[in-house]
Amino acid sequence: MTATDSTTDPGMVDELLVDSAYRLFAGVCSFEAVQKAEADGWAPAIWDAVAEAGFAWIGVPDTAGGSGGTLADACAVLLAAGTHAAPIPLAETGILGGWLLAGAGLPLPDGPVSVVPGAAGDSLSATLNGDGSVTLAGTAVRVPWSRRADRIAALVATADGPRVVSIAAGSGSVRPATNVAGEPRDDLDLTGVTVPADSVGTPAAEVTADNLRLRGALSRVMLMAGALEAMSRLTVEYTEQRQQFGRPVARFQAVQQHLVWGAQDAAITKMAAQVAARDASRDFGAATFQIASARTIAEGCASTATRWAHQAHGAMGMTQEYALHHLSRRLWSWRQEWATPNEWAVRVGRMAEAGGADNLFPLITG
Amino acid sequence: MAMRFTPTEMTPAERALQAEVREFLAAEMPGGGADGSPDRALGMGAGKNKEFSKKLAERGWVGMAMPKRYGGHDRNAVDRFIVVEELLRSGAPIGYHWVSDRQTASVILKFGTDEQKERFIPPICRGELGFSIGMSEPDSGSDLASVSTRATRAEGGWLLNGTKIWTSGAHENDWFIVLCRTSPMEDGNKHQGLSQLLVDLNSEGLEKNGIPFLDGSPGFNEVVFHDVFVPDENVVGELGMGWAQNTAEMAYERGGPDRWLSAYGVVEELMRHHAGTPMEDRVAEVLGWATARFFGLHNMSFAVARMIDTGQAPSIEAALVKEMGTRFEQDVLLRLLEFVEEEPDPQSMLLYQRLLAKAILTGPSFTIRGGTVEVLRSVASKGLRA
Repeated sequence: MTATDSTTDPGMVDELLVDSAYRLFAGVCSFEAVQKAEADGWAPAIWDAVAEAGFAWIGVPDTAGGSGGTLADACAVLLAAGTHAAPIPLAETGILGGWLLAGAGLPLPDGPVSVVPGAAGDSLSATLNGDGSVTLAGTAVRVPWSRRADRIAALVATADGPRVVSIAAGSGSVRPATNVAGEPRDDLDLTGVTVPADSVGTPAAEVTADNLRLRGALSRVMLMAGALEAMSRLTVEYTEQRQQFGRPVARFQAVQQHLVWGAQDAAITKMAAQVAARDASRDFGAATFQIASARTIAEGCASTATRWAHQAHGAMGMTQEYALHHLSRRLWSWRQEWATPNEWAVRVGRMAEAGGADNLFPLITG
Repeated sequence: MAMRFTPTEMTPAERALQAEVREFLAAEMPGGGADGSPDRALGMGAGKNKEFSKKLAERGWVGMAMPKRYGGHDRNAVDRFIVVEELLRSGAPIGYHWVSDRQTASVILKFGTDEQKERFIPPICRGELGFSIGMSEPDSGSDLASVSTRATRAEGGWLLNGTKIWTSGAHENDWFIVLCRTSPMEDGNKHQGLSQLLVDLNSEGLEKNGIPFLDGSPGFNEVVFHDVFVPDENVVGELGMGWAQNTAEMAYERGGPDRWLSAYGVVEELMRHHAGTPMEDRVAEVLGWATARFFGLHNMSFAVARMIDTGQAPSIEAALVKEMGTRFEQDVLLRLLEFVEEEPDPQSMLLYQRLLAKAILTGPSFTIRGGTVEVLRSVASKGLRA
């Protein structure tokens, strides 16, 4: 699938593309397939179907080997992926890793790409050699699906400025680890690994560490928005079917509270996510507030909504045999990725502080 | 799932309107309050200022969505949203025309007779007619259909007896729409036999008893009817259809920016108070959390207004926004208290301290007025099932 680049407004989403993404994810991300992905550490059938359709490279220019389309399109596909708990490195391959590689003129591999997120505890450093190669030292932590990626993209600082390195699969030594959803988040000791000059690129102007972090945050916002929506729907359905005291538990006011609060968490997160994606797709540099705000909202809502959904499900939600955990465990993971505690709320607060009281409302209303 | 919130954004004309309102308010409320008064108010809890209401009306910002033939401006729900959002966030004194503009004019336009439209909508649009709400009674709150105020047949009209309560502004406003029983309940069907009557608050036999609000401010009332005569021409819409009409009226009360901006003024004044001192991280975190939520709620509320203009009926979405918006208003105050060192003081020299005290004392009403969160949850959850 190739997205159409013809839309004049890059904030508009290609609805046909998004519809087909939802259909595809609904088809391949069955309960059994998502369950099996955790047991096996990889879901080749899901990846192949998504890659075949080109969804992994939406938002990466076709001139660079991507599928074209806008960042808004890519974000809408991520939202669809979140809805179905798709257990693949979609953002890493496209708007994160693909963006890094394409922006540095480096080739995109045929298979999945991962990206070094620079999470807490990361000690990766780089030395630029005379022949243009880069020698790495230290450990890159929490690298999603690193064991399955064809390439791992990293933005590193060198004495000669920032460089994007495309690290070959199998480099360094892997300490396998997972997030609480059972998805691979490996630590890679890359000490002594030399990335050859033809896999080192000088990043394009918009490829900065801060923009990478904002994109990482935006990717998690979209995934969380999708998962929250699916979780709200699942909870409403379950409480309609589940009967206690002779009626569906959804008819009890105390349970209605969980349903309504969960629906609100889903609705406000999706709204903020879509506004952020739209604005970022038009002018990324002017969308920092929207992304940081959406990320702040999503993080809080992921925490509260999982609570309400689990409470409404009772013991059923606590089993591996029921789908709730595919969503709730991912939300518990994503809320902490591309973030340190309070990072995004503080960032929004600093923007508000910089603008001052008179500009607070204009900031809020855009 | 029936929840549909589609992101929307302002057209250039809507942006221009927003800028125009901001410019007007900056000129009218240079010190933060109207008429040189130092205080801004909190959202729709703002005071009544007939002159200010008239000035707004002169700009075309009261009864905006009403047809021109009734003195309105043929604008739409989004235009009203933009104007009202700016008024509320500025703490402008909109109390006099607030209810008339938000719901009464719409109810009369939708259900009223031609004569009622001619009589009531033009003065509302001029900012000269203040309405209160005549719904709650001592024994009828959330269970509104149980109202026992009764209208009995009289020559040329009705004789009204009973008591309304929690009637904000009854002592200063001019009229209210009273939900009452015009025929006895049959077979336990309490939704039948109810009607809406337009009642002059200065009618003979109408007794107004002030009830001091929690913070000592006036404005709350009990209104007792002793054989108050209401002529036939003051029956709104169809006799006996009061319940359906009243339900439609309540939809106008929900989903708007008045349901998440009540504490906004405290945040802005606190920032003003601390301007020049670098914020600690924990303060920036609270400010960022609140700002992000304001951003989210603004976009949801804006989407609700756009839905109205595209012919949809977002009553479920509005209930969802109101339920979360009003809880957020209360949460904001709690989060601010995590770092405010001075005690809130209604008599303080500092505006933010006075606003904070006002917000603390009125805060519990946020999740009660216009439909309690409990009732709203029931409305919204029915929508989730649909």
